[in-house]
Amino acid sequence: MATPSRSEILTLFRSLLRSARQFPDYNIREYTKRRTIDAFRHNKTLSEPSSIAAAFSDGQSQLQVAKRQAVVYSLYAPKIKSIMDIKH
Amino acid sequence: MASKIIASTVRRSLSPKLLPLIRPLSTAAAAAAPAEPYDTSAGISMKGVKISGRPLYLDMQATSPVDPRVLDAMLPYFVSQYGNPHSRTHLYGWESDEAVEAARAQVASLINASPKEIVFTSGATECNNISVKGVMHFYKEKKKHVITTQTEHKCVLDSCRHLQQEGFDVTYLPVKSDGLIDLNDLRNSIRSDTGLVSVMAVNNEIGVIQPMEEIGEICKEFGVPFHTDAAQALGKIPVDVNKWNVSLMSLSGHKVYGPKGVGALYMRRRPRIRVEPQMNGGGQERGIRSGTVPTPLVVGMGAACEIAMKEMEYDGKRAVKLKDRLLNGIRDRLDGVVVNGSTERRYAGNLNLSFAYVEGESLLMGLKEVAVSSGSACTSASLEPSYVLRALGVDEDMAHTSIRFGIGRFTTEEEIDKAIELTVNQVEKLREMSPLYEMVKEGIDIKSIQWSQH
Repeated sequence: MATPSRSEILTLFRSLLRSARQFPDYNIREYTKRRTIDAFRHNKTLSEPSSIAAAFSDGQSQLQVAKRQAVVYSLYAPKIKSIMDIKH
Repeated sequence: MASKIIASTVRRSLSPKLLPLIRPLSTAAAAAAPAEPYDTSAGISMKGVKISGRPLYLDMQATSPVDPRVLDAMLPYFVSQYGNPHSRTHLYGWESDEAVEAARAQVASLINASPKEIVFTSGATECNNISVKGVMHFYKEKKKHVITTQTEHKCVLDSCRHLQQEGFDVTYLPVKSDGLIDLNDLRNSIRSDTGLVSVMAVNNEIGVIQPMEEIGEICKEFGVPFHTDAAQALGKIPVDVNKWNVSLMSLSGHKVYGPKGVGALYMRRRPRIRVEPQMNGGGQERGIRSGTVPTPLVVGMGAACEIAMKEMEYDGKRAVKLKDRLLNGIRDRLDGVVVNGSTERRYAGNLNLSFAYVEGESLLMGLKEVAVSSGSACTSASLEPSYVLRALGVDEDMAHTSIRFGIGRFTTEEEIDKAIELTVNQVEKLREMSPLYEMVKEGIDIKSIQWSQH
């Protein structure tokens, strides 16, 4: 497994945040965003090339899940928003 | 007469078939239609309650939402891989069987067991029934006595009632005011004919964690099988069947962000524990639980357990943080707030609070925009105070005012802040109306009041 470059990692990070925004569900959207940021922050100190590559491929598969599920969630989004999404 | 019967049966059998013909695909078309643009002004009106949006969810002990990663694992088994895992003659069966076995291994590794010790069931209630009734029925020649606690889940208590009717003897251990059992009480209650000790790991209503290792130690000493209902513990606190020395353990899928309708029973192989099956049939799951194993649900439970293992530390830290935020936020602005159950030995995601001088049901009614409950979902329909709080010795008036806040993986800081704001406003509003609160503020001890003059 080749070690991903800095720009590849940043692209993955941005793609994850972008797919997080696609979730119509308030809680899942916030969770995906928060979990992405926390996971990248947690893995910031990784130096071993193999563990960087492992974390990167894990992130990539999470991105695929998020992309698929964002579609499923928008297909069945409830008509009424969460009160957390309603601006007072 | 005969013609009348024929005519009515014809009418009965025809009418439902005719209806869909008149409106072809009406319901299916509605369900498949893409989500309409949001209309925020309308709001929802259900059961006479009007709310502007979907309430924020703080009832994680009743059930948790399905994690999108779990749903992602399940969908293929709904869509294309629909085989019966017990079909031995074709690919459909083999792939389903493989998925079920993989899920079994995922569940087993979360509790440090062997996959061979896991039996899939329909949920923790079924597991508890198999454990309590199944064990006692199997060993009924020699063992006639069961020990459990007063704060168990209804399904364990009800199974015990059932055994009592059959002539078995049941000891319901009392709990201390912090919700934990007294280990000496347990030791003294064990008899030579005790066939089972059943103590739940994390209480569903108050979230206290029983001293599992110590109870396991006592059961080992006396050679009594130990069963625990760990539905609320799985994925939230570290669960280890060997450390706890349990013989049987009940697990549920929908409390760990998995699907509803699936659970797993851990059954120790060495020393072997045997049960009488409560469901007879095709001999699936080694004859302990006959009936086709629901592949998609089981796969979902497996995925949920794997995620829970990876995320336990992260989720746990968050639950503690959010619980502190909630408790401090409420305590900063309200007096007379009591945490029910032990404050040290508890799972952070379950915060059961009593608000003095407020009527619990009116508080719940007022909190329309927060989905919380007064205790267990099973008993939330009744106005009776919770039997768990009564077992703790909580005063009747305080037991009536309890609210359980359940914090989970998807709960946000903003939700907690909103919940604090809504709860505080509602409690203040109700206290303003309460003559009791006024009297307390004037310095009258309400316990000294003589209410009736008999």
